[in-house]
Amino acid sequence: MNDRRLGVYICYCGGNISDYVDCEQVREAVAGEPNVEVAKTTMFACSDATQQEIIDDIQGLDLDGIVVASCSPTLHLMTFRGVAERAGLNPYQYVQVNLREQCSWAHTDLPALASEKAVAMVRAGIAKARYTEPLQKTRIETVPRVLVVGAGITGLRAALALSDLGISVYVAEQQERAGGWVGGFGSMYPHDGQGRELIGSLLTEIERRDNITIYTSAELVEKSGNVGDFSTTLEVSGERITLNVGAIIVATGFDVYQPEAGEYGHGSADVITLPEFKQLVDEGEGPLEYRGKPVRSVAYVYCVGARCQSNGNGYCSRYCCNAAMHAALVAGRRSPGLVQYHLYRDIRTYGKFEKLFEQARREGSVFIKFTEQDPPRVERYNGGNRVTVKDVLTENRELELDTDLVVLITAMEPRINPTLSEVLKIPVGLDGFFKEIHPKLRPVETVIDGVFIAGAAQAPRNSAESAASALSAAAKSAALLKRGFVELEPLIATVDPDVCTWCDDCSTACPYEAIERTPYGDREVAIISEAVCKGCGACAPVCRVGAIDLRGSTDRQIKAMIDAMEVVHV
Amino acid sequence: MASKVDLEFAREVATSEEFNAWACMNCGVCTAVCPLGIALMPRKLFRHTVLGLKDEVLEQRDAIFQCLLCRLCQENCTADVHIAENVRFLRSYIDREVFGLDADPAERKDQYALAHR
Ligand SMILES: Cc1cc2nc3c(=O)[nH]c(=O)nc-3n(C[C@H](O)[C@H](O)[C@H](O)COP(=O)(O)OP(=O)(O)OC[C@H]3O[C@@H](n4cnc5c(N)ncnc54)[C@H](O)[C@@H]3O)c2cc1C
Ligand code: SF4
Ligand code: SF4
Ligand code: SF4
Repeated sequence: MNDRRLGVYICYCGGNISDYVDCEQVREAVAGEPNVEVAKTTMFACSDATQQEIIDDIQGLDLDGIVVASCSPTLHLMTFRGVAERAGLNPYQYVQVNLREQCSWAHTDLPALASEKAVAMVRAGIAKARYTEPLQKTRIETVPRVLVVGAGITGLRAALALSDLGISVYVAEQQERAGGWVGGFGSMYPHDGQGRELIGSLLTEIERRDNITIYTSAELVEKSGNVGDFSTTLEVSGERITLNVGAIIVATGFDVYQPEAGEYGHGSADVITLPEFKQLVDEGEGPLEYRGKPVRSVAYVYCVGARCQSNGNGYCSRYCCNAAMHAALVAGRRSPGLVQYHLYRDIRTYGKFEKLFEQARREGSVFIKFTEQDPPRVERYNGGNRVTVKDVLTENRELELDTDLVVLITAMEPRINPTLSEVLKIPVGLDGFFKEIHPKLRPVETVIDGVFIAGAAQAPRNSAESAASALSAAAKSAALLKRGFVELEPLIATVDPDVCTWCDDCSTACPYEAIERTPYGDREVAIISEAVCKGCGACAPVCRVGAIDLRGSTDRQIKAMIDAMEVVHV
Repeated sequence: MASKVDLEFAREVATSEEFNAWACMNCGVCTAVCPLGIALMPRKLFRHTVLGLKDEVLEQRDAIFQCLLCRLCQENCTADVHIAENVRFLRSYIDREVFGLDADPAERKDQYALAHR
């Protein structure tokens, strides 16, 4: 044992803990432990009064470590770190034991055993506290500039929002022109405005700003550094330029599902996809023509490459029902008397877009419901195409539609971006789109600090939803950079260079690429970047010589905790 | 047996000013309230009409002419379908296509008179 002086506080949580765990018994069991100067129970450890009592104890009894056995650290870790700090104690000398979620709530049926387990848990907490060390957060100055990757509506809107906030922006666009999908569209739902004009007005505004630079034909090829201070390299038309930025917003958008040859007749004449049809209705005037022939009837097949168990993608693409109906309305106005059959599985014109559905029906579109198990067939027939479909709403009657055009309403897909994925290492979800930390609570942040995602790169989205997430990413990155500095948690992995033999196992195990090789005397050893390491612990167990330790959960602490838990008799 | 849709019939329906049953959501309220019972079934009739199943529509000729035009269905329709107007539209279509009566109301009256002389 050492000469640490610890205070232990066991919380009733107003009955949440004490109804099942005998807190007084726990206190008695641990009060006599070595190093424990004071052990108390309390009705609510988080109350102002108890917080003050702990502060008085730390100062009066000259404590150098505290243990609070209460609820989940997610709830009150910061609260009690604050208590330690206010008492003049380093906040990392504080240990929380989660008696509520991990003991009392979990064992409401076994109070006696719950009390026994609680004793073991608090003993382990004390054992851990014996070996805590004072730690300091690392402070990093931030660079007030952002790199936006992708100049679709999302990237451009994010750039303007950041510029409004006084942050300089570089935009890197892979293509020769900015604008993304929307930049190529005519009339769009729900406002009937022209996509090209929408992008045009954003670009005009961007031109007026001194603090936005757009690079076209540009690709991000290298990234180093850390949150608040990245060094990025772009390849712009073959030339490399280096940009120093504090944050990166990824707005690289989506691709459209490409049906396989023969899938719903794809590949035959007069079978086209939604983007092709959109182009057809966007361009020119007067009655629709395709390949020089008037289009007098259209069959749309919905959910192509979407919502399917077998092939394609399992999710709904959200935009396509709306975009298809909007295109059908425009087509119907251009070609009076156009006969339009919409072959759908479910109509998902959610929210206000229901009006599009209503309008399409009122303007003469006919909706035919089919099931996933029994999809329509598209076959060559009589020099044209024949669509055969079973209509659920007419007792599954099989209908044959010999329409002039078949339009496949194709889904959104994640854009395959190998270079970018390699450089940024943003995780993707099961659907292949970039993944946020939490869809509701942290919707534009990724596990890579300082790298944000927005727009259709993250999930199927229409343009308004994409622009909204662009603003969110702009606000988040600005909030990060406007402060001028970031503080990094010190609970990370460390390498003992005297022990390390550089076998490379740890750097392979690290999911964040935090470990590099560095010279040490006449050898090479592993070094862990403080700014990049997340303290996940993946490296520590793979080290064959035990050179890696995780601050805040050192091997010594974990061993002491296990030892302390072994002897339990209440 | 597959039914081939008649695109011309569908187009004629689509360009008509009087017909508006595409808005129909197939809820079946009209069929439920119809005092003639199952004979007419506006829901089914309109479904066949908008799909362009001309033969089916013509087969229901008797039912179409049995309709009382009482508008009970129309009052209860959840989608503002002018059911009675649509039934009238189909009657005049059948008059024309099946009985060879001219669509011009003035002449039609004459023909009606002729037929009932
Ligand atoms: C046929 C069709 C019709 C639609 N109609 C409508 C409509 O009427 N109304 C509506 O609201 N929405 C509509 N949408 C949806 C709309 O297109 C999207 O919501 C919108 O384009 C998303 O914008 P974005 O900027 O996130 O992605 P994108 O438009 O895909 O833009 C991404 C940009 O990033 C660039 N990029 C990609 N990878 C890299 C890289 N590695 N480095 C640099 N740059 C890169 C791309 O070149 C592109 O310019 C429609 C979509 C389709 C397919
Ligand atoms: S929006 Fe409509 S067409 Fe697109 S995947 Fe969803 S249900 Fe299918
Ligand atoms: S703790 Fe995790 S993030 Fe840190 S160096 Fe080890 S593996 Fe990488
Ligand atoms: S009541 Fe109206 S919406 Fe319902 S089935 Fe009859 S016509 Fe269609």
